Parts: sequence; C-alpha cells; structure tokens
Amino acid sequence: MLGGGRRIPGGGEGVAAVAELAGHLPGLPAESVARETLRFSAWGRCAEVAAPVLSGDQLTALAAHVRRSRERFLAGLRTQEIVDILDRAVRTLLDRSDPRRRRAEELLPAVTGYDPETVRLGLTACLKTFRGAQLSAFVAEDFANPQMLDGFQPLRKGGYGRAFGPALIAHVWAGNVPGLPLWSLVSGLLVKSANIGKLPSAEPLMAGWFAGAVADIEPRLADCIGIVWWKGGDEVRQQALLDQAGLVLAYGGNATLERIRARVPVATRFLPFGHKLGFGMIAAAALDADKAAGVARRAALDIVRYDQHGCYSPHVFYVERGGAASPRVFASYLGGELAALSHRFPRRALDAEEAAGLAAARQEAEIRSAVSDSVEIAGDAEGAWRVVFADDDPGLAPAGANRTVKVAALDRLDDALPEIARHAPWLQTVGVAAAPEELFRLSALLGEAGASRVCALGEMTAPEAGWHHDGRFNLLDLVRIVEIERGAEAAAEDFAAYCD
Amino acid sequence: MPGRDVSGTALSDQVLDFIGRDSSTESAFDAMALALFAHQFENNESFRRFCLKKGRSPRVVTSWREIPPVPISAFKTLTLSCVAPESAERVFMTSGTTGGARGRCYHPTLAVYDRSTIANFRERFMRGRDRIRMGILFPTEEEMPNSSLAHYLALAAGHFGAPDSEYLLNQKGLENDLLFRALDEAAATGEPYALLGATYSFVHAFDEMERAGKRYRLPPGSRVLDTGGFKGRSRDVATGEFYGRMETLLGVAPSECINMYGMTELSTQFYDDGNDRADAPKSGPHWIRTRIVNPLSGADVPDGEQGILVHCDLANYNSAVAIMTEDVGIACGGGFVLLGRAGDEEAQGCSVAVAEFLEAARG
Repeated sequence: MLGGGRRIPGGGEGVAAVAELAGHLPGLPAESVARETLRFSAWGRCAEVAAPVLSGDQLTALAAHVRRSRERFLAGLRTQEIVDILDRAVRTLLDRSDPRRRRAEELLPAVTGYDPETVRLGLTACLKTFRGAQLSAFVAEDFANPQMLDGFQPLRKGGYGRAFGPALIAHVWAGNVPGLPLWSLVSGLLVKSANIGKLPSAEPLMAGWFAGAVADIEPRLADCIGIVWWKGGDEVRQQALLDQAGLVLAYGGNATLERIRARVPVATRFLPFGHKLGFGMIAAAALDADKAAGVARRAALDIVRYDQHGCYSPHVFYVERGGAASPRVFASYLGGELAALSHRFPRRALDAEEAAGLAAARQEAEIRSAVSDSVEIAGDAEGAWRVVFADDDPGLAPAGANRTVKVAALDRLDDALPEIARHAPWLQTVGVAAAPEELFRLSALLGEAGASRVCALGEMTAPEAGWHHDGRFNLLDLVRIVEIERGAEAAAEDFAAYCD
Repeated sequence: MPGRDVSGTALSDQVLDFIGRDSSTESAFDAMALALFAHQFENNESFRRFCLKKGRSPRVVTSWREIPPVPISAFKTLTLSCVAPESAERVFMTSGTTGGARGRCYHPTLAVYDRSTIANFRERFMRGRDRIRMGILFPTEEEMPNSSLAHYLALAAGHFGAPDSEYLLNQKGLENDLLFRALDEAAATGEPYALLGATYSFVHAFDEMERAGKRYRLPPGSRVLDTGGFKGRSRDVATGEFYGRMETLLGVAPSECINMYGMTELSTQFYDDGNDRADAPKSGPHWIRTRIVNPLSGADVPDGEQGILVHCDLANYNSAVAIMTEDVGIACGGGFVLLGRAGDEEAQGCSVAVAEFLEAARG
C-alpha cells in the first residue's frame, strides 16, 4: 500500500528519488532514529518519504529537549525577536531558488496529488501570511498590548498582567493541504512555547522543512520544535506525547477528535479543530450582465484550489433570482470557468477507491436529475468537474468534493438560512458576493446561524493573517494570563528599601 | 423491434432457457441483453428517463456494453421494476447501512433468480457432489423475508443440504451451544460438512470459539462459504487472517474456503475457487458479464487497470439488466479481483466528507 499517497489508475512508474527525511528531531542522534518509508506517486512523479518512528523513550527525550531549549532561549526572547526570526525563515521558503522550496515544489505534487501549479501558488499564498508584518498582525489581533507577551503590563481593571504560553504544546495535524500545520506551529512559537507536532501521513513534509528553515536562521529556536510522525491510530505513541503537553491542538474528523479527547489528561487543555463545510452566497446585485462572469470565475477558483478539501472550501453556492443573469445562467458560467481552469490546474489524481467514492457521491444528484426537471447536471465527459443546478433546494451537504458543486437557485438568499443553521457545527467560511448593506445584513444572519468567517469570493481558501480560525483566537486561546493584583503591588510598597 | 417478443413472461422463459444452456457466445449474450434492455426501457418509466438523460435508447444501443448501467444507489430512490411493485412475488432490500434509505429489487416471480442461483451454486460450490450436511450462520428466510442472502442460503440448504442441515444462528445472534454441538457431531461423523454464512457471522463465531477454547478438525471434503466481506478493515490483512482462522479453528484449508460475491441488486452470484492465495479472482456463469470502468467517465478502463465493476446480469430481467456497483476491482483471468469499495477512502483534507456528514446527520 502507498502510505497515504495516491495510487493513480495507470499512473506511470517514475523513478523514485532518494527518500526525503521527514520530521525535525533536535537532540536525537540521527542514526538512532528508526524510519518508515512512505511512498507516493502522482503526475508521473514518485516520492519516497522516510518518516521517523520514535520509541516512547525517544519521544520523552525529545519533549525534554525542546522544553529545556525553550527555558534556555525562547522563554527569554521578546515577541518581536521571534517575529524577526520567523520572518527570515519564511522569506527563504518564499524564494523559489531555495533548496527546500525546490524540494517542496518537486515532491509535494506527488505526495498530495495536487497539480504542480496549485502547489506552487498555494505554497506562496500560505507562506506570505507568515511574513513579519503578517505575524505582527497575528499578535496585534489577539493582544491590544502585544507587550503582554514579554512582560507585565498594566491592566484596565488595575494591577498588571502577562501572557504565558504553556511549556509544551502538542499538535496533532491532519490532511493533505500543504502548509496547514504552520498555522498552529507559528502560533505556538509566538506565545513562546516549545512545540511537538505530529505530521499527517497525507503531507508529512512541510512542517519539517519549515523547522529546518528556522534552524538555518536561529538553531536555538529550532531546538524548541519537534516534528514527529506515527501511523494514524498508534495510541501508544500518541499517549506518550499527550502526557507531556500542557495544551493539545488537534485537527481531524469527529471520530479522530473524540479518540484524542478521550486520551488527553483531564487538566490539559484541548483545542479541537474539526472538519468544516463551506459555501457561497451570491446576491442578485452581483449578477449584473458585466459582473456575473467575474463572480463565476472567482467562485470557480475557490472550488479548484485544493479541490474543495480545505475547511474553508465551498460545496454549495446559493444564488438569488432577480439579477440580470439568472441562477441557471450563473451555473453555466461556473461550469465554463471550471472547464477552463481544469486545463491550467488539473484536478488532483484520484485512486480507484476515491474515484468510486466520488462517483457514488455524485450519483444521488444524477438520479434525481433523471426523474426531475428541477435538477440539471453539467460536467465534462471525464468527470473532471460537475455542477449540479437545483431549483429551490437549499440542502447543504458535501457532494464528493473534487470539483463537485451545487448551485441552488432561491428567491431570496435568506431562504437558505434555516437549512444553514441546522448544520451549525460544520460551519466556518462563507464566500459572499453582495452590495455592502446586504453583506452586513447577511453576515449578521450567517453569524447567528453559526458561521465564523465571511470573505470575498475568490478568497475562500486564503484566510487573512490573524484570522479567527473557527471563530477562535490563534494566540489568546493558547496562553494563560498571570496577574499581579493591585493589592499585591500596594502591599509590596511597604517592603521597598526606599520605603519611608 | 419487429419480431421481438417483449412480454415479461416470454422473456423470463427465454432467460430460463439461456441459463439452461452450457455456454454462451458474445452475440447470443448481446441478443438476450438487448431484448431485456428494450423490455425495461419500454416498461419502466424511471429507467427510460434515466437512459434518455444518458442519450441511450434501444435504437442506438447495439451491444450489452452500451446498455446504461444503473447505479446501485438508484435502487433506493427509483422504482426499478417492469411490473407494479405490489404484484411482485418478492422484494429484496439492501441493509440500508448508509444514508438511511434501503434499495429495493422487485422479483415478479422467483423462478429466474432461483434457477440462476441453484445452477451456479451447484457448479461452483458443490463441485459434483449432490448433497452435503450444512450449517447456516445466518437467520432463516422466514426471519428475514426481504434479505436476498437469507433466500440464497435457503435455496442452498433446500436443494443441496443433507437431511441434518440446520441454522446455527437466529435473529438474536449466534447460538453457541448449537454451533459447538453441530461442529462436534460433524467432526465425529467423518462425513464432509459445509458451513455457510455472512463473513461477519464467521468472525463472530471464531471469537466465540476462541473464548470457549474450542477447535475443530472437520472431516476431509468439508468446506466453507462466506459472503459480504469486511467493512472498514484493510482487505489485505483481513482476508489472510480470516482464512487462517478457518484453518486453525475449523481445520478447513483456505483452498476449500469459497467466497461468494453477490448483491441485492443482482440475481446472479460470483465465486472464487478457494482462498489459498490472496486476491482470489471471482467469476460468474455464462449469463452474467462484467465490465471494469472508470467510475467518473463510465468508459472501460484499459486492460490491467483498476476501476469499478459494472455487471450485466441477464437474470435481472425485471429490474435493470446492467448495474453500476461501488466496488473497485481489476480484471483477472476471465473474472476480476475485488480490491475495495467506495467509502473506504479517508478524508483528504479538513473539509467534511460525505460519510462523516451522513454519520453525524444520523446522530
């Protein structure tokens, strides 16, 4: 079996390069680390990844090492100094001539299955959000006074407060979208915590490269990062990590998160990030004769980027009747854009089981369209994309992703709200095309229904730096505030040498 | 079409006659398949609309390979029958494990299903023997009247079971005492014994045997038939382990363990010839043919590539002669090897997948 990789029906047997070492294991002698080879192939390329398999003792030693490194170095840095180091590391990865960046562009298409162009653009878009100015935005978003991370600052209620990150944060990452682990890893570093992250088998490289880039700039900071791997479901190793951490961040499906939650010691904070279901809303005002095509193009980009595998990716577009372009016309524009984009950004290669799953997911609409005139299907012969047009069907559900989208025609966008609210736990991103007043009116209703991010179409897959992921705080959720009460300060006055 | 008799009764007689032959040529298979297609197109409104959406009609379809296959999920939402559903002698239903709704397959009479099943079972499981004492690890037909598997096993026991054959499981579950006694007796007689049932029933029986510390050496010539497979487990590991337990706990060599692959939506089954090898190929009789297609385009995959299975079953004279499964396979020696099924794949990213969404919706 290919380890998390994609078996492509009929995919060419390329020549495997030297296995790329995954992970980042400061303090552990390289020769002492056992490795398991994960093999991937797509786009006529093969990749072999040598993933580290640590013993329980090695995990404990790694945790001790990053914790100690944090005490010696990271805990004493000012936040701005961390921002500066990360900025320099990110800039090396933004440089397309950088050896790690070149390896990323070479290997990630085979590993994730996404086409090379999507990987290249996606990496750049993701890394850009972690440059210095953007990292400062992260900090400023959560702390009105960012110096709270560096020292005690006066509080409005009186007294002083300072934010401390936990000594060690454990991250359990998931999914194959390159760069997703960076969000939580960078957040952990900004609050001056040591971090150990468990790589997803579907993309076991990016986090390690990032740690390597940090090591080139400031090895003492990289010494506070451990990047490990184990096969999904290895509860023994997972437990060894969970027991060490002061805070656990985990990504994945509900079943995975429930299993992890049950294993996290009761006094350890647990921040779960579950799977989500994005959608779009297009008001009649956005469907002017000269605007509809552009709206469709941006919607198509949101669908094509990572083939709807992101938590922010759209699966349904609600389109209001009454614009110059009808919802049906919009659906045909969207199909045209998807067809055009499939040449520049071909869909991720699917193995036979994935293709069978996608076909099964698409069949429900196909069967409905056979017996009902209110459902129409457009797609290409090869199944590279599929637009299902449905009259007055506000149903919100995934339909197989991989460029499968429903366009639902409604008299008013509000007609979808009861259905949307029914799925509150799955909500996050909504791409909206509407006039300003309507944008604010809808946003209030969407927020009430459970959504946490309203963005422009074309930007669904690229959240802004400092965004509130799932409506939460990136940094604030990680720290505890230590307060010096006003009374303590007053009492201390009595003990000063210069006290009268 | 001029001269072609499309009445259901006459057609079912033709199918019975076809099953009774020794073999079939491609052209004879085509002729029968096209007659069934024309009959279903003519007499089933939902099926006709489905075909027309696909641009297919008896006018343009010239080979069984071109008959539009109906996805098995359609059996949940459409009524795929050429007779009024209430007039059917029997309705088989799927277990309805995903999505709630159950697929329905209507049989105006069971004559064709039974002939297909019996002839094929004799050939592939009995292998020249007339009768064998059977233990059935599945509820009876009376307990599960809508289960095609219950009917299949009732046919097997009724036509090929020796007088002492019995059911070892009821709707409440496995009857341990009954099972252990039956196996003790079978081992003592020295006469070949056959154990038949759902794969998961065997797994359950094995667990019970291990718990009770029971091991048997069934007499030479004994055999096993399981069907249904493993859900949510890696096939590679699971099948080897499974047939290994057959050998250690029952004393039946994997080469004598036959796996049957069938579906509620079909009227004919596929068998392998023993599981002493991983990925034993499955094949069917001359009245069923299989294509392996790209599930997204519906086109045949090139030889040697994986795809999903599309079966053209002439015994499906009333429902849909061609069906599209969700099973992934690869062509092999006149048959195919099953590799997995849709839904076994994991979510790729952090977008909720269909299965997880449905799971949550069911609560």
